[in-house]
Amino acid sequence: MPSKPIDFSRIRILIGAMGTVLQRRGLAPGAIPDLLNLTDPELVKSIFREYIDAGSDILYTNTFGTNARKLEKTGRSVREVVTAAVRVAREAAEGTDTLVALDIGPLGELLEPMGTLPFEQAYELFREVAAAGAEAGADLAVIETMTDLYETKAALLAVRENTDLPVLVTMSFEDGGRTFTGCTVASMARTLTGLGADAIGLNCSLGPDKLAPLLRELCENTPLPVVAKPNAGLPDPLDGHYDMDPETFADVLAPLAEAGVGLFGGCCGAGPEYIRLIAERLKGRTPAERAFRRESFVCTPVRPLPLTGVRVIGERINPTGKKRLQQALLENDLDYILDVAVAQEDAGADILDVNVGYPGVNEVEMLPRVVKALQGTVSLPLMLDSSNAAALEAGLRVYNGKAAVNSVNGDAEVLARVLPIVKKYGAAVVGLTLDKSGVPQTAEQRFAIAERILNAALSFGIPREDVWIDCLTLTVSAQQEQARETLNALRRVREELGLQTVLGVSNVSFGLPNRPLVTRTFLVEALHAGLTLPILNPNQTDLLDAVAAFRVLSGEDEASRAYIERFAGWEPPKAGAGVSPAKPQAPAQTAALTLDDAIIRGLKTEAAALAREVLKQEDELSVVDGHLIPALDKVGEGYESGRVFLPQLLSAAQAAQAVFEIIREKAANAGTVSVKKGMLLVATVRGDIHDIGKNIVKTVLENYGYDVLDLGRDVEPARIVGAVREKGIRLVGLSALMTTTLPAMEETVALLRRLPDPPKVFVGGAVVTPAYAERIGADYYARDAKASVEVAREILG
Amino acid sequence: MQPNIDDILRYLRVRGEAGDLRGRVETAAAELAERVRPAWVYRAFPLERTADGVVLAGSGVTLTGSLAAKMLKDCDAAALLCCTLGLAFERRLRALERRDMGEAVILDACGSAWVESGCDMAEDEIAARFAPRYLTDRFSPGYGDLPLSLQPAVLAALDAERRLGIHLSDSFLMTPSKSVTAVIGIADTPQPARVRGCGYCSMKQNCEYRKGGITCAV
Repeated sequence: MPSKPIDFSRIRILIGAMGTVLQRRGLAPGAIPDLLNLTDPELVKSIFREYIDAGSDILYTNTFGTNARKLEKTGRSVREVVTAAVRVAREAAEGTDTLVALDIGPLGELLEPMGTLPFEQAYELFREVAAAGAEAGADLAVIETMTDLYETKAALLAVRENTDLPVLVTMSFEDGGRTFTGCTVASMARTLTGLGADAIGLNCSLGPDKLAPLLRELCENTPLPVVAKPNAGLPDPLDGHYDMDPETFADVLAPLAEAGVGLFGGCCGAGPEYIRLIAERLKGRTPAERAFRRESFVCTPVRPLPLTGVRVIGERINPTGKKRLQQALLENDLDYILDVAVAQEDAGADILDVNVGYPGVNEVEMLPRVVKALQGTVSLPLMLDSSNAAALEAGLRVYNGKAAVNSVNGDAEVLARVLPIVKKYGAAVVGLTLDKSGVPQTAEQRFAIAERILNAALSFGIPREDVWIDCLTLTVSAQQEQARETLNALRRVREELGLQTVLGVSNVSFGLPNRPLVTRTFLVEALHAGLTLPILNPNQTDLLDAVAAFRVLSGEDEASRAYIERFAGWEPPKAGAGVSPAKPQAPAQTAALTLDDAIIRGLKTEAAALAREVLKQEDELSVVDGHLIPALDKVGEGYESGRVFLPQLLSAAQAAQAVFEIIREKAANAGTVSVKKGMLLVATVRGDIHDIGKNIVKTVLENYGYDVLDLGRDVEPARIVGAVREKGIRLVGLSALMTTTLPAMEETVALLRRLPDPPKVFVGGAVVTPAYAERIGADYYARDAKASVEVAREILG
Repeated sequence: MQPNIDDILRYLRVRGEAGDLRGRVETAAAELAERVRPAWVYRAFPLERTADGVVLAGSGVTLTGSLAAKMLKDCDAAALLCCTLGLAFERRLRALERRDMGEAVILDACGSAWVESGCDMAEDEIAARFAPRYLTDRFSPGYGDLPLSLQPAVLAALDAERRLGIHLSDSFLMTPSKSVTAVIGIADTPQPARVRGCGYCSMKQNCEYRKGGITCAV
């Protein structure tokens, strides 16, 4: 049914507290307030009437905790509760203009990656609530008290895709300006604005005094109407009473109208008497003009990234020409991809390009999988890079924050296919200045395509600050005049259109000696021509050095702080070292160090460098059996005899890991299969969500050369059995940390035992004992990571 | 306040000379203390004694078993406490696990010590509020015969999901992982130390420290 439009041109008054008011009227602790819609509708109705009388324009239904998960044990369905709740509010509002909003609260369970609830399941839970609310005749929906931007996105998509209801979204922030999950105000505002919320704001957690600066920040980060619904101060620890009186509450809250807040209400502790005072002061007034800051922006929840200077896009997650990454994609080896991402983040990338397109890889499945894994590991915003619109949509859907899409071009069909997706998910988009007839040879023509792309984006409702233009780098050794054309087009796009500019710089030097010099020179020229988003390999230190220097010269790096920090330990090259491209010097200490020593002492970088040297003389197997394993064994003996401790054991294991990576890289480049000692599976059992112990075992086993399939934490027994059958696994390691999850371990072992050819099972974890292991039918008890290596040796060799 | 270095080394099962480990631990602990602050909420309730156990009136929590009865023997009120390092710690730990597992294990131990320090700070605050009355040792669901299944009611009474972002799994595990719930009795007379020591610990049978001939010092 068509929903009533909400008039945001006047200040609207929302409802105040529901839960704390019900408690004051005798709701028992632990009781579910939502059920009162069915059991005591008159009580709920009387509170609504008080709010209408106090001046509320919009009621929130009493459904804060209504979702299938929370109602599970009540015997009531979501539809039943929502229908009753909307009816109660509707009856209370009869004869008035008061609107009824379907209230949607958090699910009460953490989403992945911090928790275990998948995004898709969260969406499904919200979808059920939203659909029931629309069917019951709510006028709008409100999503409130959210602390996880990802969960908020699931809820917002569920409302937008399943109803026509306008939707207000409010989140809860702590004193430090972040939510519990670390989300910033800017990340929240820009992401939800892009996803099509009708109004956004803050509710709960703090009083109006503490919320005020955050609300002002919010007003600068969105053009949407802004909602303020604070608590009546903070609760007293002795009796739970909120400490701010209605007068003070109104005194502090009302001035926010001057900052542009347009919807006012109250949360915990702020009953009808609070709403009455606010309504008296503000109701019906015109919201003040706002100082919305229009700027290009991408983010993750924890990392807001306004594009107000040069931002480096890391290019390494792209299989083109990278055999090791191709292999990782084909083998579904996300760990390798994550390592590549971490290395780029640590090297100073601001955004990561993510391209998983390779023959034999299903991009529509792989892109969202990689996006999820990446956002559990790195905090950088992502640029999803694909020509497959379905893959882009799948990736954007599960992305937590505001992403970028790479890319569209001047081809009308491509624009029509990709831009609606970009708009729907509020992403930024890169436009390549080419079209069906190829790359134009003149700056003029490329500029014309840039304009065409910009106009197409605007026509889809994508704001111009979200359009980034790539004027394309060609190889200067093949088409020498093209470097100039690229730079000229770039300068015009930046100066005349004012858009962000993207450029991959590395290709320019192809085919020339001393490529880094040409690449870096081109990079610097492009930056001066107005390049804001260079795409490059952040591990190439000289390129990031050049960016750091440019940021000083452009004034972006205030007082040269970042530059000074970057070069704090810098010393001029020694006289006589020469100015020609010297070979990179091996670290000084490797001279006296052997590969075995480097592993034993846990020196990762040195171990990798030494492994490269040793591999020139010895084959891979002899490096593993002759150096790596003996060194690890030596550390292991020290650990057992109490001379070496866990952190040192693990540092050694990771040095070994670095050596293994060198071996894998060599094998991938030679097209041969790498040294692997057989596969085993590890998992933390169902119900157990803490997995550092399992991760320790995994780290150590991998560094003995075993191929470890890690199913993660909170793993259903059936999933473990399925993986064992599918991959023909011969050894399974299970971890449990809590007495409450031991039964899940027992169940898993029992299921594995029932297989026709059961694998061997070893178990461990804080509460597991040898006797328990024996009782549940496990083959081995592994006291620690070192013991698990003994087990693996016995079974897999 | 900083996490206790000796506690951290004990959590890492370091016996005897710690060598360069002590330096690594000190650095990690100082950085953690600077970046992540423990957060806590507490609330006090009057006590009622029933056949089921000690009831914290108005909270929905009933403390069953002999440990609670003994601990709260002289008390007419008790505070529930929840302290956490939050998801900020969780994120740091996960990021570090991907980079350097050895350092991650050190950080994990630092986190365990730091959340206990947080409880100490909260306890000081509670003590100050109730002075001149006296507090018992704090004790937690999972200690002795106080069941872990009390966790949902304790967290609900403190509104800990909304106020601290604590989530509880069906198996009563809290996320963020470095979170502690506790009960602290309030009495008019000085309270002796009662729960410290292995005799009260549910881990007694398979404690790694005990196997190694040391204790965790709780």
